[in-house]
Amino acid sequence: MENVRSAAPRLRALAGLCLAAAILSGAGGPLLALCGPFTDVSDAAFCPFVLEILTLGITTGTTPTTYDPAAAVTRLQMAVFLSRTVDAVLQRASLRTVLGQIWPARSSAGGASFNKAASPALLRSDGSDVWVALHARNAVARVRGSDGTLLETWTGANGAYGVLVALGQVIVDGDTTPGVLWRIDPAKPAGVVDLVSTLGIGASGITFDGSRIWTANTSGSVSIATPGATTPWTVTTVTAGFTGPLGALYDGANVWVTDNASGLLFKLDGGGTILQTITTEGSPGHPAFDGENLWVPTDGAVSSVLVVRAKTGAVLATLTGNELLDPRAAAFDGQRVLVTSFNPRQVSLFKAADLTAIESFNPGIFNSPFAACSDGASFWVTAYGTNLTPDTVLRF
Amino acid sequence: MRKKAALGLAGALFACLTAGAAHTLLGTCGPFTDVSDVAFCPFVLEIFTLGITTGTMPTTYDPSSNVTRLQMAAFLSRTVDGVLTRGSARAARGRFWPSQGSQGLAVTTLAWYGGDVKSDGSDLWVASYGLVSRVRASDGRVLETWDGDAGGTGVLVALGQIFVGGWTKPGSLYRLDPSQPAGTVTTLSTALGDSPYELTFDGTRIWTANQGGSVSIVTPGATLPWTVTTVTAGFSVPSGAIYDGSNVWIAELNPGRLVRLDANGAILQTVTCGGACGLPAFDGTNLWVPAFELGNSFVLAVRASTGAVLATLTGNGVDEPQGAAFDGQRVMVISLGTTAGSLSLFKAADLSPLGSISTGFDPPQFVCSDGVDFWVTFGGSYELARF
Repeated sequence: MENVRSAAPRLRALAGLCLAAAILSGAGGPLLALCGPFTDVSDAAFCPFVLEILTLGITTGTTPTTYDPAAAVTRLQMAVFLSRTVDAVLQRASLRTVLGQIWPARSSAGGASFNKAASPALLRSDGSDVWVALHARNAVARVRGSDGTLLETWTGANGAYGVLVALGQVIVDGDTTPGVLWRIDPAKPAGVVDLVSTLGIGASGITFDGSRIWTANTSGSVSIATPGATTPWTVTTVTAGFTGPLGALYDGANVWVTDNASGLLFKLDGGGTILQTITTEGSPGHPAFDGENLWVPTDGAVSSVLVVRAKTGAVLATLTGNELLDPRAAAFDGQRVLVTSFNPRQVSLFKAADLTAIESFNPGIFNSPFAACSDGASFWVTAYGTNLTPDTVLRF
Repeated sequence: MRKKAALGLAGALFACLTAGAAHTLLGTCGPFTDVSDVAFCPFVLEIFTLGITTGTMPTTYDPSSNVTRLQMAAFLSRTVDGVLTRGSARAARGRFWPSQGSQGLAVTTLAWYGGDVKSDGSDLWVASYGLVSRVRASDGRVLETWDGDAGGTGVLVALGQIFVGGWTKPGSLYRLDPSQPAGTVTTLSTALGDSPYELTFDGTRIWTANQGGSVSIVTPGATLPWTVTTVTAGFSVPSGAIYDGSNVWIAELNPGRLVRLDANGAILQTVTCGGACGLPAFDGTNLWVPAFELGNSFVLAVRASTGAVLATLTGNGVDEPQGAAFDGQRVMVISLGTTAGSLSLFKAADLSPLGSISTGFDPPQFVCSDGVDFWVTFGGSYELARF
């Protein structure tokens, strides 16, 4: 009660200050003009729309008290309005905003630890839990997204590398000779993974096109597996044009493969034939797609992230700096792209909408960040590398 | 796996020796040579990066020209699409593939035929005519089963509770508290109109579309039974019930029509379906109303604010459609089919078809979305499938 009583006069004092400031400065005061602060918007039917884009920060008016409603919009002005619209909507709609987690991702917000030689590789969220391939443990870990608890360990996945959550299943490939494909029915109690087919040697990156599973095989091939009611699933392995594919993703129209050994990025047709080749300046790793553009971490003489328009294959930008060094993998969370840098143990964040660097930081670990995924609220990063600390999956 | 670091270095050298530099943006502002105002350049680059503009030419943006209303339509349309795609839960999980058949996977087997299904954000709740199943969306596991809901058909997630309508005469309404251990549902009322099918909520009261020819309005209270008002005037065979943020709409099977109600259940407006109306979905602006008559199947897109029919959609696998659901970007329409069941997808923002999936002989019954997947129950099996 004490606090309540003392708070009231303070609020009144504050209101008085604001009113005085408004009178003195003519700005920042209550909205008393015809339409909010604007004295020149007289059409009541249009006023709510003008007020909405003012409230959202999409317009600031031509002056603090005018909107200039009858003027035409130039293309330059329109760029500002649309750009702010995208930012405002994405910011408001993001799970991070709704959960009140809008702080920068400076340090790990928990995660799970494995033994010292687990070598966690790729990982994916099913919306609740994160599934992590434990390459050297020959296993797949299920980590609860909300608190980082290690829930289950599925065994029998020799050389587990790539993880895909699709068809209500968790599908994992093995970086072995030959490569292998397993599935996990996450509704069942943890046990041994279910072998569904063999693949090209060194299966690594994995993706899904809505009906078939694609793997990038480092030995120089791409395998395409068709899920069926019985096992083994039918697999087609394509070698033409490939040297050492590593990463794979689907953009809604085509599968893309990064060829780590030849430094190329390939767009494929439905049969695995190369449709388009983009040259990178190094060794491309595991890419991410943001709905419009591919983000391709590239380890070369200059570490960079190549941003490629998926529709055309045009390179929009080659991003450097932001402490990128030996970048391995990228992930998109709806607004931001996270890129892991293996050697300096850094992660770098970019704003996906305009390619600007947000920040980079050492997450305070001794391990090297390797692969990344998002669950919409947090990024998850696998990290390994020293014999001093357990290998980990970290949440940011 | 660590060998890939070495492979990466060799690859880098190879690439440096053999390949030219990747293309970079060399204009004054990204690729554009005519945007000289550095204060505006970041905004132009953002809408270029997002694919909202392509420029007037690859190297020009024409910054000082005005925007026509036609050009503005293209810019706004691309903006909405870009924001919805990026903002979706599917994008953050890297799931850009289309919904397809489950190929025998991702099917949860329930204890009995599934009726209505609704998501609470984490789990699906399925009424199975006397049993209610709770299925975890992330992995499809049946977590618990409740009983005691005789005739349980329609499901509503509201007020932190799960409500189930009992397709009984007179109709029943049940409730379960999802935070409690599974057990027997609580009966809230057995005095609804005959045969409630679908339920909705207006923020205060629960509405049921009763196939016996009425609409019941149930007011939650501290004591049982809850107060029920049943309205019969003007109703024939109500089946679908949906709230658009302002009004409750009821879809009637015969005569096929969609009616907008006032707060007391009186009919304010009637939209003729042209056939039997199925269970509609609302996308925030428009209602999607499945409708069919003999040999003629379609989906009506109805503007909720006015009741105007925007479009009558045919094809795309729509064949005796029963229900619809919206996932933030797409609408799924489920069809019994004259020969095989089907699931049809439409882009909600422009009503364009996105393709359809056959369910074979198993006719789909109810559909909902959890924001990532669509979930469908079937009339010929105990299955709950995700797409």
